[in-house]
Amino acid sequence: MLNDITLGQYYPVKSMVHSLDPRVKIVLLILALVTVFLPENMLLYIPIAAFILLTARLSNVPFKLLLKGIKPLRFILIFTVVLNVFFLPGETVWLEWEFIRITKEAVLTAIMFGIRLVLLVMFSSLLTLTTAPVALTDGLERLLSPLAKIRFPAHEMAMMMTIALRFIPTLLEEADKIMKAQSARGADFESGNLMARAKAMVPLLVPLFVSAFRRAGDLAMAMEARCYHGGKGRTRLHVLKMKRNDYLALLFMALLLAAVIVGNRFL
Amino acid sequence: MQITFRQVSHTYQPGSPFQSTALSNIDFTVESGEFLALIGHTGSGKSTLAQHINGLLKPTSGQVLIDGSDIHADGYSKKTLRQKVGMVFQYAEHQLFEETVEKDIAFGPKNLGLEEAEIAVRVQEAMEKVGLEYDEFKEKSPFELSGGQMRRVAIAGVLAMRPEVLILDEPAAGLDPMSREEMLQLIKALHEKGTTIVMISHSMDDVARFATRAIVLKKGAIAMDGTPAEIFRHADELEDMGLDVPVICKLARDMQKAGLPLEDGIYEEDKLYEALLHLWKGGAADAQ
Ligand SMILES: Nc1ncnc2c1ncn2[C@@H]1O[C@H](COP(=O)(O)OP(=O)(O)OP(=O)(O)O)[C@@H](O)[C@H]1O
Ligand SMILES: [Mg+2]
Repeated sequence: MLNDITLGQYYPVKSMVHSLDPRVKIVLLILALVTVFLPENMLLYIPIAAFILLTARLSNVPFKLLLKGIKPLRFILIFTVVLNVFFLPGETVWLEWEFIRITKEAVLTAIMFGIRLVLLVMFSSLLTLTTAPVALTDGLERLLSPLAKIRFPAHEMAMMMTIALRFIPTLLEEADKIMKAQSARGADFESGNLMARAKAMVPLLVPLFVSAFRRAGDLAMAMEARCYHGGKGRTRLHVLKMKRNDYLALLFMALLLAAVIVGNRFL
Repeated sequence: MQITFRQVSHTYQPGSPFQSTALSNIDFTVESGEFLALIGHTGSGKSTLAQHINGLLKPTSGQVLIDGSDIHADGYSKKTLRQKVGMVFQYAEHQLFEETVEKDIAFGPKNLGLEEAEIAVRVQEAMEKVGLEYDEFKEKSPFELSGGQMRRVAIAGVLAMRPEVLILDEPAAGLDPMSREEMLQLIKALHEKGTTIVMISHSMDDVARFATRAIVLKKGAIAMDGTPAEIFRHADELEDMGLDVPVICKLARDMQKAGLPLEDGIYEEDKLYEALLHLWKGGAADAQ
């Protein structure tokens, strides 16, 4: 019942992209997001789209799955684009009727907005699809570790995120189980008005919270029993090391970014 | 009430990298009054099969028929189905949510749209059946009970719907020996009063003691289907599948190996006792 969540789901296959250093992939994502927001000319989205297509190919992730990440956002997407078309100011009027005024500039900007949003989600999905959650938080922890100097609890943050991510599937499974158990007792989660549906969630949420708290308690106990005491002095099982491909990937990203900046000047 | 599976297959998350086929081409019929035990190794598809009986899962292909009509056909009432086929999940105590035991047990009957008076009668009756004193427990929070008591509340919640068929997914798992025995006696009593029982169990001794029929699943397909006597005659095959056999079965086999001329397929205590007595008397007669 609850298996339709792509954003943030790992797709476990082997590929060049999967085996990149998670730190590098996080940096790449940040650079990619910057790149997506830079272009002032529509043409500049061509190399960016080509870059995504190429990365998707190299990652062995079906393109369909990448598009699936956009599906839950389609309403926001349509909403923003439409809103922009109607309300952005512009000079070249394409259509004017009563209070509606559609201009060339507004349409172009709106399309640009849409493209940006789609690319944004696709880049983010690419990261989560190709990086195991644990690797992701590990990379994040390492990137943030310099901040420990100013007492930022990088390790604790990463540990919390790892645990949260680790338990999402467990909780989904649990929710599915409880939902089935209550359906077997005649509960109806699907029909009725908003109020009725919200009320129908009580038999699902109460047991779910109870079990989440029980699990949290058990986990805390199990961690303490194994002498967990925070990040201080902890060594690592997987030591991250940059390889040739990591440098190459960074180089490509830098080239793309440079191309967009240069393109902005000359187009 | 008759339950029929016709070429039922089920695939979880088809088309994704996590795709797994849990059932393939399952065919069987359960008649009213049977006590069917579903056995099989971990991951063999027992729970998946059980959840098809009351329509919680839909077959990827094939049909589930109740009294001859397809439960996934348009117009088949899920409500009636859920009332007729009660399901007690593994660790059923995890589904409790109400403030009081009484309210929790009333959840099912309420969903059926019964009247207050009728619900009250059913709640009391169900609590008596599972051995929970009505006046003592009705106002208690289900969360302050012991694990065994919580499970009884959960089962009472299903019994209050007065199902004709009761499916139980490892009802005795994780209980202490006494609660375990009480649970099994409760199920036996329900069966004797006419409820059809489908029980998933890992304990072959329980199957030997209570079931009238057993289906053995292996990797999502039916490997054996028959009375416990027929199933336990293939003790070696069961053990090859990683399953246990009843203690008496093992004992009889060891005795056979040691040279006693016992017949095959003995799995009940009194049968073994009788057979041994017979041998001994026969032996004594020979000696005279
Ligand atoms: N929600 C699900 N999504 C994907 N696969 C599943 C799901 N539930 C079960 N499976 C898979 O289907 C197969 C059968 O599972 P099932 O739970 O029916 O086994 P079981 O016989 O009840 O095992 P157990 O004795 O451990 O309870 C297993 O391989 C399992 O991994
Ligand atoms: Mg199971």
